[in-house]
Parts: sequence; C-alpha cells; structure tokens
Amino acid sequence: MAAAVFPAWLALQPGARTLRAFSTAVSPATRAPTPSPRTTERTSKYERPLRRKALPPRTEKMAVDQDWPSVYPVAAPFKPSVVPLPVRMGYPVKSGVPMAKEGNLELLKIPNFLHLTPVAIKKHCEALKGEKGFHTAHSEEQHYILHYLKFCTEWPAALDNDEKCEKHFPVEIETADYVSAGPSVRNPKARVVTLRVKLSSLNLDDHAKKKLIKLVGERYCKTTDVLTIRTDRCPLKRQNYDYAVYLLTVLYHESWKTEEWEKNKTEADMEEYVWENSSSEKNILETLLQIKAAEKNLEVNKEELLGTKEVEDYRKSVVSLKNEGDNESTLSQYKESVKRLLNLT
Amino acid sequence: TMLKGMTRLISRVHKLDAGHFLHTGSQAPQNLAAHLDNQVPVESPRAVSRTSESDPAKHGEQHEGQHYNIPLQDLKAVFPHGLPPRFVMQVKTFNEACLMVRKPALELLHYLKNTNFAHPAVRYVLYGEKGTGKTLSLCHIIHFCAKQDWLILHIPDAHLWVKNCRNLLQSTYNKQRLDQPLEASIWLKNFKTANERFLSQIKVQEKYVWNKRESTEKGSPLGEVVEQGITRVRNATDAVGIVLKELKRQSSSGIFHLLVAVDGVNALWGRTTLKREDKSPIAPEELALIYNLRKMVKNDWHGGAIVLTLSQTGSVFKPRKAFLPQELLGKEGFDTLDPFIPILVSNYNPKEFESCIQYYLENNWLQHEKAHTEDGKKELLFLSNTNPGQLERLCAYL
Repeated sequence: MAAAVFPAWLALQPGARTLRAFSTAVSPATRAPTPSPRTTERTSKYERPLRRKALPPRTEKMAVDQDWPSVYPVAAPFKPSVVPLPVRMGYPVKSGVPMAKEGNLELLKIPNFLHLTPVAIKKHCEALKGEKGFHTAHSEEQHYILHYLKFCTEWPAALDNDEKCEKHFPVEIETADYVSAGPSVRNPKARVVTLRVKLSSLNLDDHAKKKLIKLVGERYCKTTDVLTIRTDRCPLKRQNYDYAVYLLTVLYHESWKTEEWEKNKTEADMEEYVWENSSSEKNILETLLQIKAAEKNLEVNKEELLGTKEVEDYRKSVVSLKNEGDNESTLSQYKESVKRLLNLT
Repeated sequence: TMLKGMTRLISRVHKLDAGHFLHTGSQAPQNLAAHLDNQVPVESPRAVSRTSESDPAKHGEQHEGQHYNIPLQDLKAVFPHGLPPRFVMQVKTFNEACLMVRKPALELLHYLKNTNFAHPAVRYVLYGEKGTGKTLSLCHIIHFCAKQDWLILHIPDAHLWVKNCRNLLQSTYNKQRLDQPLEASIWLKNFKTANERFLSQIKVQEKYVWNKRESTEKGSPLGEVVEQGITRVRNATDAVGIVLKELKRQSSSGIFHLLVAVDGVNALWGRTTLKREDKSPIAPEELALIYNLRKMVKNDWHGGAIVLTLSQTGSVFKPRKAFLPQELLGKEGFDTLDPFIPILVSNYNPKEFESCIQYYLENNWLQHEKAHTEDGKKELLFLSNTNPGQLERLCAYL
C-alpha cells in the first residue's frame, strides 16, 4: 500500500531528493495516461510535472576512500542507495536468501550507527579535545562523557590525594540525575540526596560522640567511621539537600547537650565495657582482700590494691574480653593475668 | 620393657573371654613374632598407649597421651554418678576403666597440687568444643582429689536440674523458691556413696528443724541430714541446701579439703525449660537447688578448689556451635565466676590419637581389617578430625 502512495508524493514534490530512493523500488513505468484509481490527488495528469527517470543510486559513484562522516553526518534512517554495503536482512523463504537492502523495511526499523563510525568518533574527539589533552576515546559511551566534560572546569591541582580532599571537604554529597527519553524530563528518583561525613572530622568529645551514635543508630558505620544520611522525603533535590544539612547540624548540637535523664544510663546501655564500678572490679577486690586477710596482712587499702601492675593487666584483659568477645588471644591473656593475680605458678 | 610388654600381652590373652580368644590368639603370635624378629627393640604399642602409673598424683608430662587404669572398685566408690554414659558402656565392654592422661588435666593437677588452702578457692573452668574430653578430664581430677582424700562435691550434670523436672514443689524453707525432690534425692544418694567416710566425721553446726516431729540437733553427723533427705523426699532439696552450706562453712576450718566439681555449670545462669502451672517460665534462681549451688561456686570460702566445665550438650537454648566461655556463661555467669582460670580442652594431638587407636586395637575394639594400617588410621583421623568423641563413635561401628 505504501508503494502505491509514493508515486502520488512524487508528483507533489518532484524536487525532494530523499524520496528519490523510493522511486527505484517502483518500476520505472511512466505515468499511465489514465490516472490510477487509488490516487487521492486532484491534480490532473497534465499539471503533474513529468517524472524524471530514476537515476542510478549514489553508491555507484562512491569512491572507496571517500569521507564517510559527510555521507552520514547525523543520525539518519538507513538509505539503501547511499550505503554501499550489500547488506541483506530478513527471514529467507524456503530455498531463498534474505531480502536485499532495497526497500527493506527491517533495515529501516532498526537503529543504525552509520553516523558513528570510528573515523567519525575520532573526528569528534579531535574537535572536543581542544587543549584538554584527553586520551582519545573510541567508544560511544566515552564519546558522550567527553562531550559532557568539555563543559566542566578543571580539577583543582591542589587536591591531588584523598587525604587532602577529606581534610578540606569532609562532607560528601551524592546526588543522581536521570536522563530518559520520554514525555517528561522529571524523574522522582532524582530527589534522593546522600550526605556522608566522617565523625573524626567533626568536633565531638567522648560523650557527644556516643550520644550521636545512639541517636543515628543504623546510619553510622563503625568500621569506616562514616555517618550516612539519606534523605528523600521532600519532593525536590534542593529541599532534600537542605534537610540533610539541617539534620547534621541538629545532631551535632544535640549531642553536645546533656539532658537530665541521661544520668539514668545503666550498664546495659553502655556501648563498651567500663571497668570502674563493675562487678568484675568488686570481685577482684574482694578476692584480693581475702588473700591479704589470709596472709594476716590487714593494713592494705583499696587504692593500693587496685593500683598494682597485676590488677592493671587484669583490668585490660577483662576489658578486651568483654569488648572483643572470646578468642584465643583474649582468653589466654585473661588466663595469664588471673594466674599472676592469684599467684598460681 | 619389651619383655614386660610381652608378658602382659600373654596374661591378657588368658584374661579375655573365649569369644575374643581366637582373634587374640592369632594376633598374639604375630606381635611376639614381630618383637622377636626385630633386632632393634621396637616400642611395643602398649608402651605408647598405656602407663602403669595409676595414681593421678604422680602423673606428669611423660605420661601425656597414655591411658592409666582405674581399678573397678575404685570406680564405684569415686564415680557413682559422674561418668559420661558412653564411657560407662565402654568400661563395661572392656571390663576395665582407662582414662587418657592429657595436657589440660595435667595443667589442672599442677595447680591443684600447689593450692594454697588459706586463700579463697580458685575457680577453674574447662571449656572446649563438643566431644573434646572435658567431662573425662573432670573425672581425672576427681579421681586425683579422691585419692588425696578430699571431699568431693560432684554435680554430674547441672543441666539435669534445669530441664524436664517433674514434681516441682514449693519450697518449705523459702516460699519464693521451688523444690526438686527427685533430683535432690538422687544426688544425695550418690553423694553418700562417694563420701561415706566423711559423713560421720563432719558435724553440723546448728539445729535444723524439718517438721513438727523431726529435727537434727547441733553436733550430729552430716550423715543424718543426708539420710533425712533420702528417706523424706520432700525435704531432699533442703537437705542438699544444708549439706552445701555446712560444707562451705567447715571447709575453711581445715578438717578436710573440698572439691566442688560441676559439669555443665553454664546451666546455672541460663534459662530453664520449666514452667509453673500457669505456664509462666521459671528463672534458674527460683529453683532452690540452683540457688544454693550458685552460692557454692563463689569464691568466698577457702580450703579447697572449684573445677567447672562448660557444656553445650544438654544445655537449653544455646546454639550447637557455642563453646566459648562468654557465649555459654552469659554476662551474669561470667561476672559471677570472674576471676577464673579458663582451660581449653582441645582435640587429640597426633600422639594422643595414636595412643587412642592403639588402646582400641589392644582391646580388639576395631574389628575392621584395615583398622591398624597407616591408611586406615589416616582415614579415621580425617573422619573424626581428631575429635575424641567423634572418634569413639566412629570406632564403635568398626
């Protein structure tokens, strides 16, 4: 049906070169004196300009070493008369071959990258390079990245390693932008803002740090000492960014304050084991006192007992045992310290 | 030693019953032949796996890996309820009780020999993976202390007191707590068998009134309290409590040395599977037995020692792979036992493994023809991963 419409178009735009391609598909029959009954045009046969005879396709005139990027400078549909390759596409009939390129709808449907041959990309890179001195990219992706980078400023030379970056810019903001072809440019995923900061770069004392960690809970990673705040509750990225910064400010100030009810912190709330006033301390004190009593040595006082090196070792081993859990080294350390404390050989 | 080995081998041939005779008969000439043929005297397998030193007090590093024999009548007197059930079966099969001398036990023996009885009792905790020999090491220690004439307070498995108990009664002594008459009376019976000779020596130091008609006067022997507990099952738990209290008080006086040995001590601080009639769970401290036992393992007395083992087998609500002290004891348990000496009981080292295989071979326990070859031993080593319990179970099939 499409083929039937084309002659009518040709009649309307005899000058359009692009449509000449289709003329080759149609048999070069001259116009019939009687107008074809399917045409919908009103022009009489005498007003229709005479159709030129179909010329041979351009491919026959192409040199092998021609400048291809000028044939396909931009993304364009597949033109069988312009592409000099004898390409075939389609499912062959029984004992047949795939269809040739002329008039092949399959070749039209698929996207082609004839405008992005390596030569073309090289040319683009040269054009983009300017004074930047980038490594020449050969893939489409890198091509796009370079295109974008052309509009960025240079990385500051002073920040050449990670430590300096962290020292001067401890807060990292991570946002994502999404590009897609569709009716709307907006993407709800783009409003997410992630704020990362290392707690060591914040000015926190011991109590403040513990309180902050308790306040944020899961958002703090112990191994890397990084606080991550991910906000997406506001509809806009800018709003989320403001909110994240606000959260950080509030956390910082709140953790410095000490509330009334913090006095009621029990042993179960403690993050790490504290030796002073623990039951372990009481036990060892009692044991030592009893030992001294057995040796009729009643003039010792508590501070002296607790200040000896053996008790110090014992304290360290108990703290490590409680904080790190059981493993060979902590257990053997504990064993040695108890042996020395109780004078067992 | 070679000659001694051979003579002992011949005497063993006569000792074993007829069922085994043929097999040993064929084996014995082989061994003898092997001994006679070699110019260089080969260490007879007996020397590797056994030692004739049957007094634990004299065990030292040179005996490490070797089995020593406990005479069977001693066994009944010292261990009325202490041995693990599989070991009891093995004793019955082999008609002898042999324990392997191993490093953890030797270490403990060393500490015990150097105990200062004026200082508070030191707590030693044996811990290790499942099947490594903690209970048998404890038995070794108990044998030593029994030979040294200590009073043995042995609770064979504390887990038995926190699970599957019927007949919980409200305690007569303290209304908040609960009694376990069955468990208490069983334990009292065994305690009596183990420490017969002390029960008449030790005198109670205050008067105990059981009910309107019965009471125990001050100064009467402890045996009376035990009898009361055995005959009047209702008062058994209180009797246990009294025994513990008296022993603790009087060990400091120096009449006797007290060994408190508890297997599965992590049961004291865990959870129980017991529930009241209204299905509310019972905490361990609400059981009178557990409450009194907890007092016993604190180090506020002197004149003895406390040896404990942690055990996951039989424990309730603990994962199977748990064996480290803090995992099994929990925070409460650790804080109560602190400071203690943790002693790790590990799998067999190559020498101990070899010795164990030799022991089984000598007793004709391994009937498989490949069992005594090097390849067979390697296979057993790999399959059991040198774990004593696992090895024992594997060899039972061979």
